[in-house]
Amino acid sequence: MSVLLEVRGLDFAYPPERSRSAPRFALSAVTFTLARGEILGVIGPNSAGKTTLIRLLTRVLEPAGGDIRLEGTSLRRLGRWELARQVAVVPQDVPPGLPFTVEQVVLMGRYPHAPRRFFETAADLAVAREAMEATGVDELAQASVQSLSGGERQRVTLARALAQEPRLLVLDEPTAHLDLRYQAECATLLRSINRERGVSVLLVSHDLNLAAQVSDRLLLLNEGRVARLGPPAAVLEEALLTAVYGCPVVVDRHAVTGRPMVQVAWSPLSAEGR
Amino acid sequence: MLLGPGLASGATLMDVRGATIALAVPPTRIVSLVPSVTELVFALGGEARLVGITDYCDFPPAARRKPSVGGMVAPSLEAIVALRPDVVVATDSGNRQETVDQLRRLGIAVYLVRADRFADVLDVAMRIGQLLGREPAAVALTARLQARVDAVARAVGRRPRPRVLYVVWPEPLIVPGRDAIVTELIQLAGGASITAAEPGDYPRFSIEAAVVRAPEVIVLARHGTDSVPLGRDLWNALTELPAVKTGRVHGVDGGLLHRYGPRVVDGIEHLARLLHPEAFP
Amino acid sequence: MSHAGRLALVLAALAAALLATAAIAVLAGSARIAPGSVAQALAGRADPASTEAVVILSLRLPRIAAAALAGGALAVAGVGFQALTRNPLAEPSVLGVSSGAAFGVVVGQLVTTGGGIVADAVRLTVFGLGGALLAGVAVYLIAAIGGGLPVHTLLLAGVIVGIFFASATTVLTSLLDINRLGGIVHWLLGNISPIAPAPLGVFALLAGLGFALIVGRARQLNLLALGEEAAVQLGVAAERLKLRIFVGAALLTASVVAFAGPIGFVGLVVPHALRLVLGPDNRVLAPAALVAGGAFLLAADTLARTVVAPAELSVGVITSFCGAPVFVYLLRARPRGGL
Repeated sequence: MSVLLEVRGLDFAYPPERSRSAPRFALSAVTFTLARGEILGVIGPNSAGKTTLIRLLTRVLEPAGGDIRLEGTSLRRLGRWELARQVAVVPQDVPPGLPFTVEQVVLMGRYPHAPRRFFETAADLAVAREAMEATGVDELAQASVQSLSGGERQRVTLARALAQEPRLLVLDEPTAHLDLRYQAECATLLRSINRERGVSVLLVSHDLNLAAQVSDRLLLLNEGRVARLGPPAAVLEEALLTAVYGCPVVVDRHAVTGRPMVQVAWSPLSAEGR
Repeated sequence: MLLGPGLASGATLMDVRGATIALAVPPTRIVSLVPSVTELVFALGGEARLVGITDYCDFPPAARRKPSVGGMVAPSLEAIVALRPDVVVATDSGNRQETVDQLRRLGIAVYLVRADRFADVLDVAMRIGQLLGREPAAVALTARLQARVDAVARAVGRRPRPRVLYVVWPEPLIVPGRDAIVTELIQLAGGASITAAEPGDYPRFSIEAAVVRAPEVIVLARHGTDSVPLGRDLWNALTELPAVKTGRVHGVDGGLLHRYGPRVVDGIEHLARLLHPEAFP
Repeated sequence: MSHAGRLALVLAALAAALLATAAIAVLAGSARIAPGSVAQALAGRADPASTEAVVILSLRLPRIAAAALAGGALAVAGVGFQALTRNPLAEPSVLGVSSGAAFGVVVGQLVTTGGGIVADAVRLTVFGLGGALLAGVAVYLIAAIGGGLPVHTLLLAGVIVGIFFASATTVLTSLLDINRLGGIVHWLLGNISPIAPAPLGVFALLAGLGFALIVGRARQLNLLALGEEAAVQLGVAAERLKLRIFVGAALLTASVVAFAGPIGFVGLVVPHALRLVLGPDNRVLAPAALVAGGAFLLAADTLARTVVAPAELSVGVITSFCGAPVFVYLLRARPRGGL
C-alpha cells in the first residue's frame, strides 16, 4: 500500500502565555505514516497531544520542527484550499445555536473546491445530497441542525466532511456525545465509508474499544510522544496501557471480532469503597 | 456702524459675520429664526413683511399668528423654502451653522445677527430697521431705548452696587459669565454680578462658590411665561446668605434679559427696581 | 430555485418596499405640495426656481438618498458585526463602535478645518474610522477570554467602551464655543439632513467600499459560524477574514456617523427581522440588509420630519425607541451559545 500521510519528527509546543494556566500540551518527535485506505486510530490519555496533532495536520497550528507530508508534498507547500480539498475534519459537534439547515451546513463542505464562487452550483448540491444520503441525513436536509439529536448532528458533520471529497478523513472524538446505539452506528458507517470510497481515516478517540474495533492500526500517544504504533493487538497490551494511563487494565478478546477489549481492572479495595 | 444706502431700490447688505447678501428688491418676505428679531420686527411695525417665525417666537402675542417653521436648532428647511422668503434672519448663537449653510446652498439669502453687548442690541435694531426699510422707526426706537437706559443710570448711578447672583438655571447651576449680555444688563441696572469674571458666556458654577461670595440679591430667571421662579427653595434653605436674610430672592422673566430684543430695557428697568427699590419711589 | 434566483427575488421585493417608502417620503413634508406638483418637479417640468422644485429636488430627494444610504450602511454593519462576533446582539451602537466613531469625528472637527465640503467629508469619515477601530479593538481586548467572545462580556465591554467614548466626546465638546455646541448635541442624537450631490457621492463611495468588504466575504462568514477552527479547516483564512469584516463594518459605521451622527439600533432591528424571514445565510442577508436598512431608516426619518412638523425629531431617537425593545427580546429569547 502506498503512503498517503507521512509525519516525521514532529515537534510542537504552545507559546508560554497560553500554557500559563493549563498543562503544557506538546508533541515531540512524533513519527508515523498512514497508508492509502487505512484506518489509523490515535489513542492516549488526556493531554497526550491528540487534539494538537489534528490542528497540525490541518494547519490550524504550524509545527515547530519536523514535517508533515501528504502524498509526498509538505503541508507547508499546500494552500489552505488545496489542503481542505484533501483533508476533512469531523469535529465533535457543531457550535450550539448554529442557525443553518442541514443542507446549508453540508454545502459548506464544498467551499474549498470553489472558494471564489459566491453561491454553490447544482453540481455542488449533487455532491452534498450524495453525502447526506451516505450518512442517512438526506431526509433532514431542510431541518435546522439545532433541532437534531446528537447522533443526527454527528452524521451531519460527517456528511459535511464527505462533501469535501477528501482523501483523508480526520475524526475528532466522533462518539464523545453519543449513546451506545449511535456509537455502533458510527463505527459501521465509518467502516463502510472507508471501504466504499477508499478514504483514509485518522480516528482520534478516547474510546479504546471503538478504536480497536474499527482501526487497522493504532497509534498510542503519551505526553506528546509515540508510545507505540502497530496493529491493535500489539498496542493494547496490559502492561503498556497500565503504565500510560496510570491505572491497572485487563485486555480481553471481543467475543465476535476477536479484537482486543480493554477494561479497567477495578481493585477489590475501590470496588468495596463504593 | 450702519452703512449702505437704504433699501428702496434694492442693495447689498453686510451682516454681522461680514457675509454680503444681495437683495434685488427690498425684501417683502422675511423669515425670522430668532425670537428677539421677531420682537424687533413687530416693534418697528414691519410685521406685514414677516412670513415665518420659530416655535420660540412667543412675543408679542400677535407673533403667534404667523406660520412657524419649527424650532431654532432644527427648523424644517422645506417649510422655510415653501414660504418663499427673500431673506432669512438667523443668529450664530442659537441657530445651527448647518441650517445656515443648507439655506445658502438653496440660494436663500441668510442675514446673520448677534448681540453680546447692550450696544449690539441697538445695532441689531438698526440693522433690522434697514432690512425692513424702516430706518426712521429704528432711529426713534433706539433713541427711546437709550434714553430709558440713561434714566436708569441717573437713578442708580451713585448708589452702592449690591452683589447679585443671577441664576440662569438652578440645577446644574448655570450663571452669566464674562461674555453674557445679562452680566452687562445687571451692571446697567446698578448691580454687580458676583459671576461677572467667570470665563465664557453661560458657565456652570458651584453653589459653594456662590455662597462664599455672599450675594445680597438673588435673581432667578423664569423660562416661559407660565413657569414659577426655578429652585427658590434651594436658596431659601441657605438662611445665612445676606440675600435670604433680607428676603431679596426675586424671580424675573428670562425672556426680557436673555434675548437681545427691545424688551431688554424693560428687563434693565425691572432689575433696577429690584436692586434699588428706594431709587424708584 | 437557484440561490442567485432567490436572492434576486428577495432584492426585487425589498427594492419595491424601498421605492414605496421613498414615494411616501417624497410626498410628505411640512411644505404642503400636491402630488401632481411633486410629479412635475420629479419629471423636471417644474420651474427650477419654484418652491416645488427646490423642496422636492434639493431637500426631499437628497434627504431620502441620505437616509436610505445611512440605513443600508448601518444594517450591513450590523450583519458584519453579528457574523464576526457570532452574536445577534452585536451592532455598532451596542458595541460602542458608534461612540468611538463620534469621538473621532469630533476630534476631526477640532483639529482640522477647511478644504471644501468633499475634503471635509472624507476627513471626518477617516477620523471617525480611526475612532471606530479604536473602540472595536478596545471592546475585543476587554471581552476576549481564552480565544472566545462570551456574549455577556461582549455586551458589557461594548457598553463600557461606549460610555467611555461618549464621556470623552462630552469633554471635547465642553472645549467648544457654546454656540457650536448646540449643533454638536443635535448631531450626536443622530439626524439625517439633505446632503449636496458631491458629499453624497463621497458618502456612497465610502459606504459602498465597506459594503463590498463585507458582502464579498459573505460565504466565508457563513463558515465562520461553524467556529474559527472549523472554518480554518475548510480553507478560510479566519484571521484575515475577521480583520477585513471588522474594517468594513467600522467604515460603514464611521461614514454614517460622519454624515448623520450616531444612529442606534438599525443594525440590530433590520438584520433580526430579515433573519426571521430569510434565514441566516449572510450571502442573502448582507445585500438584503442594504436595501431593507435603507427602507427602515427612510421610514423612520420620514416620521421624524412629519410627526411634529414643522419642528423635527431626531431620527436616532426613533430608531432607539424601536430598537431597544428588540434588543431586550433578543437578549431574553436567544438560545444558549452562538448565533
